[in-house]
Amino acid sequence: MNLVEKILARASGREKVAPGEVVVANVDSLILHDLSGYITSRVFEKEVKRKMRYPERVAMVFDHHFSPPNEERARILEENRAFARRHGIHLFDCGSGNIHNVAVRNGFVRPGTIVVGSDSHTPVHGTLGCFAVGLGNNSNAGTVMPFGKAWFKVPETIQVKISGQNKPGVCARDVALWLTGQIGEGGVVYKAMQFTGPYIKELEVWDRWLFPLITIDVGGKCSFIEPDEKTVNFVKGITDEPFEVITSDPDCEFADVWEYDASGLEPQVAASPTLGNVKPVGEFAGAPVQWAELGGHGGGRLEDIRQAAYILRGRKIAPGVKFNLVPSSREVFTEACREGLVQLLHEAGCTWFPPSTGSNQAINMGAMAETEAMVSTHARNFPGRNGSPKAMMYLGSASTVAASAVKGCIADPREFTV
Amino acid sequence: MRGRCWKFGDNIPTDQIVRVDRALQSLEEMAKHVLENLNPSFPREVKKGDILVAGKHFGQSSGRAVAPKAIEATGIAVVVVEYAARLFYRNCFEIGLPLLECPGISAGVSDGDILFVDMTKGYVYNENTDQEFKAAPIDPFLSRMLEVGGLINLPVEMFQE
Repeated sequence: MNLVEKILARASGREKVAPGEVVVANVDSLILHDLSGYITSRVFEKEVKRKMRYPERVAMVFDHHFSPPNEERARILEENRAFARRHGIHLFDCGSGNIHNVAVRNGFVRPGTIVVGSDSHTPVHGTLGCFAVGLGNNSNAGTVMPFGKAWFKVPETIQVKISGQNKPGVCARDVALWLTGQIGEGGVVYKAMQFTGPYIKELEVWDRWLFPLITIDVGGKCSFIEPDEKTVNFVKGITDEPFEVITSDPDCEFADVWEYDASGLEPQVAASPTLGNVKPVGEFAGAPVQWAELGGHGGGRLEDIRQAAYILRGRKIAPGVKFNLVPSSREVFTEACREGLVQLLHEAGCTWFPPSTGSNQAINMGAMAETEAMVSTHARNFPGRNGSPKAMMYLGSASTVAASAVKGCIADPREFTV
Repeated sequence: MRGRCWKFGDNIPTDQIVRVDRALQSLEEMAKHVLENLNPSFPREVKKGDILVAGKHFGQSSGRAVAPKAIEATGIAVVVVEYAARLFYRNCFEIGLPLLECPGISAGVSDGDILFVDMTKGYVYNENTDQEFKAAPIDPFLSRMLEVGGLINLPVEMFQE
C-alpha cells in the first residue's frame, strides 16, 4: 500500500484498503476558516444538533477577515467566537494568519494523520505526509464534529516525478504553476498524487508545500510527499505532540507515473480566467497592473517576502501601483522584522497588511473594478473572486510579482535578478 | 425524471455558481442569482424539474456546499455533467441533489431540449435528438445518501463507534 492507503487503513481499523473502496475513518484534525466555518457551524447546531465529540481536534482560524468591514461581518465573527466557546474548540482570531499556515504552525498537521478542512486547499497538508482533504460543510458538521469520523473513497494514486534544476530567477512556484498547466484542470479528478523525484527532495518544506497546494485545482483529491528527515525535523520544531511517520511500501503500485523535467523552465504566469491559462512570463509581459500582492493560501511566506525584498532593495514600485504585503502568519512577520525586510519593503512603497489570507475572494480587501488588474502569489485567478468578473488576476512567483510592481506591468523578474 | 435542459460549459467554478459575497445569504436569495454571470436568464426562467447540464470539471474551486444547495433551491431536479469536481460531487450527494456523470453529454444536448434521466439504470435520453448517453455508475454508499435525502440523514450507527 502507499502512504494514503496505509493511513486510511489504520484510521478505519482495516488491515488493507484498495482504490475504490469506501471507508469510514477517524479524523485527527478539522480546520475551519471564518467563512465556511460559519456555514459549517450553522449546519452543526441547526441540523445535526449533537455534541462536539473531540473539541481539541478542531480549530477555527479567522483568516478571510483580519478586521470586520461592517456590522454584518462583525456579527458573524462574534457568532463564530460564541460557537468556539460553546463547544470548546480552538480559535485563532483576526490577525493570526492564513488558515493553513496557522494549522501547521500550531501542530494540527503531523505526519501519518488525517487532516480535513472546510477549505478546498486543505490537501496542501499532504506536504507533511498526511492524508489531507477538503470536505463539504455537511461532512464536517454531520460526521466529523459529532463522531470524529468521515467517509472517504480510497483514491487511485498517480506518481508525479520531478527532476532538474531551475535556471536563475526561476523558483518552485514557477514549477508548480507550470505543472498545473501540464496536468491540466481536471487532469487528476478524484485521484491522489505522490510528488517525488530529486527536485522535490531537494526543496525545503515551505517550498515543497507549493506542490500539494495545486491538488484541488487540477481536480485531485489529495497529494502527499513521503516524509523524510526534513519533514520530521520541521514538525518536531513546532510541536511536542507525538506522531508516527508512515511511508509508502517500496513496492507499492501506482495507477500511472508521470515524469517532468523542470530544467529549461522560464518564470510562469497564470492569467484569468483559469489556472490552466499558464504561460511563460514573456507571453503576458507589458500587461498593465495596478495591484500587486504577496498573500493567499500559498503566498506571504518568508521565502516570498525575501524574494520581493531582493528585487525591491534600492528600488521603488511604479507610480499608480499598490503593493500589498500579507504575511501568512505572525511568525513570518516577526522574522521579516528581524531581517529588516519590513522597513525595506515599506520604504520601497509597499503596504503591510495584517497576517491573514489577504485578498483571497476579496472578503476583507482586494476588490477590483472592471478596469483593474492584480499580479499576486494567490492560488486562484477565477473571474469574480476579486470584485468585477472583468478584473484580471495574474498569478506568479514573488519575484515576478515584485518585478511587475516595479514596472507597473507584468515583467520578467530576471531583468532584476540575473 | 423528465425536464428541460439548461446547458453550461467546462471548468465552471463554484464562485460562478454562487458569488462569494452571496454565500451567507438565504438560499432563496442565492437561487435568484445562480449562474447569472454565465446565463442571466437561467435564474429568472428556470422551472422546477428542469435539468442542468454542464461540461468538464463542473463546480471546481471552493468546496462550499451552498453551491449545490443554491442549484437545488432553483428547482433543478438533477445535474448532469461530463465530470464534476471532487468536492462538488461529494457535496451534491451529501445534500441530496442527484448528479450524474455522462461522458459525451455536452455535445449531445442543446438548451431547451427535453431530457429523460434514469438514475437507477444510469442513462440520459434526449427526446429531441433520440440519443441516449450512458452514465458512470454511482457508488451504493452515495445512492443510499440520495435515498435518505443526504448525509445527515444516514443512520448514526454508520459513524458511531
